Amino acid sequence: MSQLIKKRRIDSYALAWRLPIIVWQLLFFVGPLLFLIAMSFFLVKNYRMVETFDLANWARMFSKDYFWSSYLYTFGMASLATVVATLIAFPASYALAFKVSDNVRRWAVFFLIVPFFTSYLVRTFSWYVILAESGIVNSILGNVGLGPFKMLNTPFGTMVGFMTLVLPLLVILQTLSLSQIDKNLIEAAHNLGCGRIRTIYAVIIPLAKIGLVVGALFCFILSFGDFVSPYYLGGSSPPTLSILIIDTTKSGQQWPRAAVVAICMMTTLFVMAFLAIRFAYRKPAS
Amino acid sequence: MIKDAAISFTLKAYLVALFIFVFAPIVTSVVFSFNSDRFPSIPLGDFTFHWYELVLNDPDMLTAALNSLFVAVVSAVIATAIGFCTAYSDYRYNFRFKGPYLALALLPPTIPLIIMALAMLAWLSKIGLSGSVLSIIIAHSVLCMPFAMAIIRLRLSQMDSSLEAAAWNLGASEWGAMREVVIPFTRPAIISSLCLTAAVSFDEFAVAWFVSGLNKTVPVVILEIVQGNIDPRVNAIGTFVFLTSITLVVIAQIIFMKNQKNGKAS
Amino acid sequence: MTEPLVKFRDVVKRFGNFIAVKRMDLDIYEGEFVAFMGPSGCGKTTTLRLLAGLETPSEGEIRLDGELMNEVKPHERETPLVWQSLALFPFLNARENVEFGLKMRGFDADVRREKATKWLERLGMGEFIERDVSQLSGGQRQRVALARALVTEPKILLLDEPLSALDAHLVIRMQGVLTKLQRELGITFVYVTHSQSEAFAMADRVVIMGEGNIQQVGSPREIYRTPKNRFVAEFVGRNNILSGTVQNVQTDTLVVKTPSGDFSVPNPEDRTFQVSDPISFSVSADLVTISVERSDADNCVECNLISEEFIGSVVTLFLEANDGTELKAQVQEKELEKIDPKLQISYYMSWPTRSAHVLENNPSEE
Repeated sequence: MSQLIKKRRIDSYALAWRLPIIVWQLLFFVGPLLFLIAMSFFLVKNYRMVETFDLANWARMFSKDYFWSSYLYTFGMASLATVVATLIAFPASYALAFKVSDNVRRWAVFFLIVPFFTSYLVRTFSWYVILAESGIVNSILGNVGLGPFKMLNTPFGTMVGFMTLVLPLLVILQTLSLSQIDKNLIEAAHNLGCGRIRTIYAVIIPLAKIGLVVGALFCFILSFGDFVSPYYLGGSSPPTLSILIIDTTKSGQQWPRAAVVAICMMTTLFVMAFLAIRFAYRKPAS
Repeated sequence: MIKDAAISFTLKAYLVALFIFVFAPIVTSVVFSFNSDRFPSIPLGDFTFHWYELVLNDPDMLTAALNSLFVAVVSAVIATAIGFCTAYSDYRYNFRFKGPYLALALLPPTIPLIIMALAMLAWLSKIGLSGSVLSIIIAHSVLCMPFAMAIIRLRLSQMDSSLEAAAWNLGASEWGAMREVVIPFTRPAIISSLCLTAAVSFDEFAVAWFVSGLNKTVPVVILEIVQGNIDPRVNAIGTFVFLTSITLVVIAQIIFMKNQKNGKAS
Repeated sequence: MTEPLVKFRDVVKRFGNFIAVKRMDLDIYEGEFVAFMGPSGCGKTTTLRLLAGLETPSEGEIRLDGELMNEVKPHERETPLVWQSLALFPFLNARENVEFGLKMRGFDADVRREKATKWLERLGMGEFIERDVSQLSGGQRQRVALARALVTEPKILLLDEPLSALDAHLVIRMQGVLTKLQRELGITFVYVTHSQSEAFAMADRVVIMGEGNIQQVGSPREIYRTPKNRFVAEFVGRNNILSGTVQNVQTDTLVVKTPSGDFSVPNPEDRTFQVSDPISFSVSADLVTISVERSDADNCVECNLISEEFIGSVVTLFLEANDGTELKAQVQEKELEKIDPKLQISYYMSWPTRSAHVLENNPSEE
């Protein structure tokens, strides 16, 4: 179709539809990100930013142990969240894709969309109430003589927050990719004497690979950049990179150093995205 | 087979457990918004509207709500308008650099909000656009645009490719066909997009918090209350926000389902 | 001789490296029913789109009513098209769909309504005027699409495989509707189809297209009985095509040596052949006779029966000559009783010399 409707010379109609996004994104998306890079070379003198080109911020951040420990912690937590979330979500997505009726699946997906429209902040606050030392979980456990357990201000708390953030999206993505698998292929595998577990990793996972990897990538991106869970449920000790950005800008006025952290985060995310997509689309070795 | 049934049952029980986990914080928040105890715990205290009264009688909350509403409406309109242009360009034309063009349009959700916030605030003050409501609107439009584009693109892909050409053939200019055919056909998706992007903007706090000065939106107020102490007002506000967003989503969903049906029939 | 309504002169249409239409020359006259027929990708739909202005010719000129149309935009010409997908506007009802063209031309609301109603009634859609398009059947939607195209009273109507989505019995009915309408209105219909039965049933003239070229233009009968070249002979009907070299030239006939045997064919008036020139000819499958004994007809070839196909009272026999050349014969079912076909038994296929017809080379081979 598109090839039949061909463009003739300068087509003002076509440009009228094509240009807005280019202008808008250059002004308000590419512009800010490029400025962020430039800003990482600026200096702050007397609480004012001086536009210059100086590697001092980079040198300073890279020489600080807290930056590296924060980086490793953030990377580690995001990786852990990705693995844990993928493992938690898979059986549920498997059940939704293969074990329930179409109607149940539709409703389940609808209910998984609902959390996107409840404030993530409010949900985090709820977990705070649920997990607190005198909170709901501990008061229930107390009745049977257990606890109290310290769950807030621990990596466990952070992880609960991450799961709240990523599980709904992940289950949706996994369910969509699993339910697109041709059921006949699974039947064929069973028919050929392939066991239940073996069918999952020999047939289902390779067929749904792209969806599973994209889902995992989103988990990583969301957990890597989130500051609410590590701050409120993890007690920001140690601070993640996002918390570092907030601290450096909001209290220290050190915007250029925050920019350095931000660029490190984005670079990490780009590399992860690149690797994930390459892995997802790689032909399986035969 | 008994084994099959057992596996099936286990999986379904697991599914229920997962949904309990996902909905636990939402339900907790709604329940405790009616609970009289200052510190929420089990067993529950008395039923009360106290926290709602506090919220409703707080002039700062009203201002924040109006700010949020204004930001949400304007961002939704901008995001949907630009999203429409982009979706239509993608639907109708093939051109060089279309890959990078679409990447440019769809990339924003992959950048962590806190980085967007930092970059946006720095850039907007650099180019002299740092009025805070305006900054929030611009940032939210950038964040929402890819969703708007996706919704509208989906609807356009249901449009018979000769429909537009049929309008030209019957005497409509390109702009005429846009007005008389493309927009009427896409209208349900445009409304869905307006509702969904408004809901996304209404909930967004990272950017809003970063760039807001005196003009706070509702999520920013929540953030500040949460930073202070445990305060059940958050539950009441959260329930309000939830109701607003979910109303928008349900409207969007109903309209979308309806147009899905029409799309199939035609 | 009146001036043609549509003139194609040296029209070429390229899409990148692909040439969809190669140097087309064609006149279409007022009040004609012209059908473009050919396999998919032959350029027939592109020709129609050129006429509607949805494509611009790469070379040459297209004139409509004497006026040069090359750069005229689709909405500035009066060439309504009935689309293969019908392309009815799903958010408008039947009447609003029909009114669309009038609305674009600035007619008042009451004039639009009156004309749209009149056309829908004329096409037997009186009861369904306010119906949503999605509530109409395939045949009814077809009529709405026709009314929508005709409501502006054009001189020419373009139809792009409009019946391809309909059930077989509805196709026959709509064919009747279309021919009657065309005769009553007296306007030109340009009809694109891949279906031979549709083209032959309705058209005054048929244009056979293949590989971007016009292969033959003529009445359905001409095309059926005297296919111009191998392409047409293969595409239209069931023709036996034999190739060989000229062995003997006489005033009225040529003797052609082929791997299957020697045959005589009428010597065409418009071409001269020398001995040992390559030559192809066709013999229509319904003009041959099948017998068990060698017949004394002008031409006779021994062949084996491969398979048979019954369509009502006519049977098509698929045969093979001794050298492997595929042959076809259409015979009445009654005649078949006489020869009692059993597979792998030798038969003789024979035909009089006048039934053979010498083919030209395909244009692409020249």
